[in-house]
Amino acid sequence: MDYDRLVSFIPAAKREMLSDKLVDVILASKNDEKMPSRLANTMLQYWQRDVLESESGMAVLLEAAITLEPEKAIGALNELQVRDAAELIKATLTS
Amino acid sequence: MVKFGIEFVPRESYWKIMYYVIQAERGGFSNLWMTDHFINRNVYATLTTAAMFTNKITFGPGVTNPYMVNPVFTAQAIATLDELAPGRVVLGMGPGDKTTLDSVGVEMQKPLAAVQESIDIIRRMVSGETVAYQGEVFRTAGAKFVFKTRGRIPVYVGAQGPKMLALAGKIGDGVLINASHPKDVEYAVNCVKEGVTAAGKKYSEIDVAAYTSFSVHEDINKANKAAARAVAFIVAGSPPQLLERHEIDVKKAEEIKEALKANDWGRAFSGVTPEMISAFSVCGTPDTCIERIADLLKSGISQFVVGSPIGANVREAIKLVSEKIIPHFKA
Repeated sequence: MDYDRLVSFIPAAKREMLSDKLVDVILASKNDEKMPSRLANTMLQYWQRDVLESESGMAVLLEAAITLEPEKAIGALNELQVRDAAELIKATLTS
Repeated sequence: MVKFGIEFVPRESYWKIMYYVIQAERGGFSNLWMTDHFINRNVYATLTTAAMFTNKITFGPGVTNPYMVNPVFTAQAIATLDELAPGRVVLGMGPGDKTTLDSVGVEMQKPLAAVQESIDIIRRMVSGETVAYQGEVFRTAGAKFVFKTRGRIPVYVGAQGPKMLALAGKIGDGVLINASHPKDVEYAVNCVKEGVTAAGKKYSEIDVAAYTSFSVHEDINKANKAAARAVAFIVAGSPPQLLERHEIDVKKAEEIKEALKANDWGRAFSGVTPEMISAFSVCGTPDTCIERIADLLKSGISQFVVGSPIGANVREAIKLVSEKIIPHFKA
C-alpha cells in the first residue's frame, strides 16, 4: 500500500480529526499481535515529537490502523468524507 | 504543590502503554509508576522503554517486592535504569501480595524485616558499597557491582497496614499509601508520622503519595462501571475491619469474593455498590474527582497517584486529568 499517496487525499484541515480517530482505532484494537514492532516504534517516535499529524506521521498512523483494523480505518476515512482514500484502501485490500 | 503520578499495569502491549506514558508526561504528570506482577510484562523492560520515550518524568516500579526478586537484582535493575535516565529513577518497594506469592510457592516471611533489609541492601549496593549483610531474611557476603553507579536513588515504601506505614515513614524517602478514601489516607498518614518522628526526621522531608484506584469520565455511569472492576478486587481483598470502617456489608463483600473465585465476573462486578466505589476509589466526573482529591490533600499527602483503571477510556481519561484536574491544583 502506498501510504504517502493515501495521505495526499486527506485535506490538511481534516488531518487533526483523522489523526484522533485513527489513534482511537489503534489503541482500542485487540489485534496487538499484528502490529510490527518497527511500525510501533516509529509511531511512538512521531508521538514523542508530537508530529503524528504531519504528512509522514499520518502515513504511519494509516499504516498502523490499516494493519490492525482495516475496516475501522476505512470507516474513519468515510466518516470524514475522505472517500478517495477509503476507496483506494478497499481496492488495494481486495486486489 | 501536589505532584500527580500515574500508574500503569503492563498487561497491554508495550506500544499502547508507551503511548499513554508519553501522553501523561506531556499532560503534566511528574511521576510514572509501573506495577510489578509476574503475570504481566516485565516491569524493568517496560520502564527501560519508558526511559527511552520520555525525558522528564520520574519513574520506577510501583511496587516491587523483596521475595520474587533478590534485592541485589533489584539494585542492579534500578542502577542500570538510573544510568539510562539519570536522576529520574525511584524505587517502590513493598511486601507484595500473599495471593501472588502463594501462586509461585514463595513464602511471605517477616514482611517488615524483608522490606527493611532489602532496602538497606539496595541502598548500599546502589551507593557502590561492598555489602556484607546478615539480616533476618537476607544475607550477602561481599556483594558489589563491577560497574560504577550514580549514587542514591529515592526509595518509596508501599504500605497499607499500620506497622508497614510506620516503617515507611521511618526509612522511606517516600511512601505509597495504598488507599483512596480520606478516612483511610488520614489514618495512614498518622501512622507514617509516627515512623517519621521515631526516625527524627521531618514529615516534609518525605514524599507521601495516595496511590489510588481512579476512574474519571464526563459520564458518571461510565466512570463507575470502569471503577467497579478494580473495586471488586479491592473489596474482596479487604479485611473486615476496613470494610466496617466504611460501613460496607461484610456479607456482600464475601459474595463478591466468591464470585471472583468462580471467575463469575458479571456477578462480581454487579455486586459492587456505590458505597464500595466511594470507599475504595476516586471516581466520577472531573469536578467530582477534584473535590475528592482536595479532601485527600487535607490529610497531608504530597503526591496523588492516578491508579488503575484510570478511566473507561484511558486516553480520554489522561486527557481529562491533564486538561481539567491537574491545572486546577497548579493554579
